[in-house]
Amino acid sequence: MTIILRVILIIVCLLTMVFLIRKIRQAKVQIEDSLFWIFFSAGLLIISIFPQIADFMAGLLGIYSTVNFLFLFIIFILLIKIFNMSLHISQLENRIKELVQRVAIDASAQGEKEEKREESRQEEKPE
Amino acid sequence: MKVLVIIPAYNEEKSIERVVDNLVVNYPEYDYVVINDGSRDNTAAICRRRGYRFINLPVNLGLAGAFQTGMKYAYEHDYDYAIQFDADGQHRPEFIRPIVDKMEEGYDIVIGSRFVEEKKPCSLRMLGSFMISLAIRLTTGVKLKDPTSGMRMFNRSLMKEFALNINYGPEPDTVSYLVKNGARVTEVQAHMDERLEGQSYLTLTKSAIYMIRMITSILLIQNFRKR
Repeated sequence: MTIILRVILIIVCLLTMVFLIRKIRQAKVQIEDSLFWIFFSAGLLIISIFPQIADFMAGLLGIYSTVNFLFLFIIFILLIKIFNMSLHISQLENRIKELVQRVAIDASAQGEKEEKREESRQEEKPE
Repeated sequence: MKVLVIIPAYNEEKSIERVVDNLVVNYPEYDYVVINDGSRDNTAAICRRRGYRFINLPVNLGLAGAFQTGMKYAYEHDYDYAIQFDADGQHRPEFIRPIVDKMEEGYDIVIGSRFVEEKKPCSLRMLGSFMISLAIRLTTGVKLKDPTSGMRMFNRSLMKEFALNINYGPEPDTVSYLVKNGARVTEVQAHMDERLEGQSYLTLTKSAIYMIRMITSILLIQNFRKR
């Protein structure tokens, strides 16, 4: 890894963390969801400062260029993240569906209750 | 002072009656509300049958969501203080009074802590608690002996913040953030029982993950949040 690449990576990691803190302050993201990005940035930062780690892993996997290993590593992590997000979205959809159904059923039950009240009031009138 | 005891409950059919009955019979001076967090067991049915005051969440939100529901309720019904109370019977209501008394001295948060006067045991379980204490001490300078205790009481101004905002879960990292931004916190000695029924949701790996999450949050995130 060239020194320029490492410097750029370090700057990008630090910027990511700064943006993240900003979003948290603006209440635009939940802290649980931000933790992935914090750890991801921290990991990338460590690899930038200590490229020996990436050199070693690349050698282990038979990859000639360390940068290529870096790409593979980042893509792999992103794949995991996207898969998790698919799961998360499924759960969100399911929750919304539950809510919609619950609101609809409760509203209909409310409607029926009011109809019954109207009917019993009508029945009491002819006295 | 109107006090609301918020009881988040998820699948607590085995202990909810004992807990609520104890409050109703022996501590009628406190209002309570059970927040049924989309339980899949008979928790809701039991509450309905016994006529308990409860709120039924149609979908499971987790402890943070359930507690926030309680805070919304407390705020909208003009309570002065709200305290989180476990549905599994580990918290004891006789310690609510000393916590209220301490709140009236002008604190924003009072925590029912197991280790104010008693020594914290040196076990693996307590290692996590110790590390969280350390993280809070590093970022805020305040020494909390039992930061993971769930028995926390909040005053009305904090109630509003909890009710309306994101990122206000009932966890030690939120406490750390609030203290760093000016909230006055203190602890009062309380004793807690061991869980009698059911299984604790915390296994070793889950506890470890929780610890890492909390410590990262306290040191790297809550350190930089502004209120």
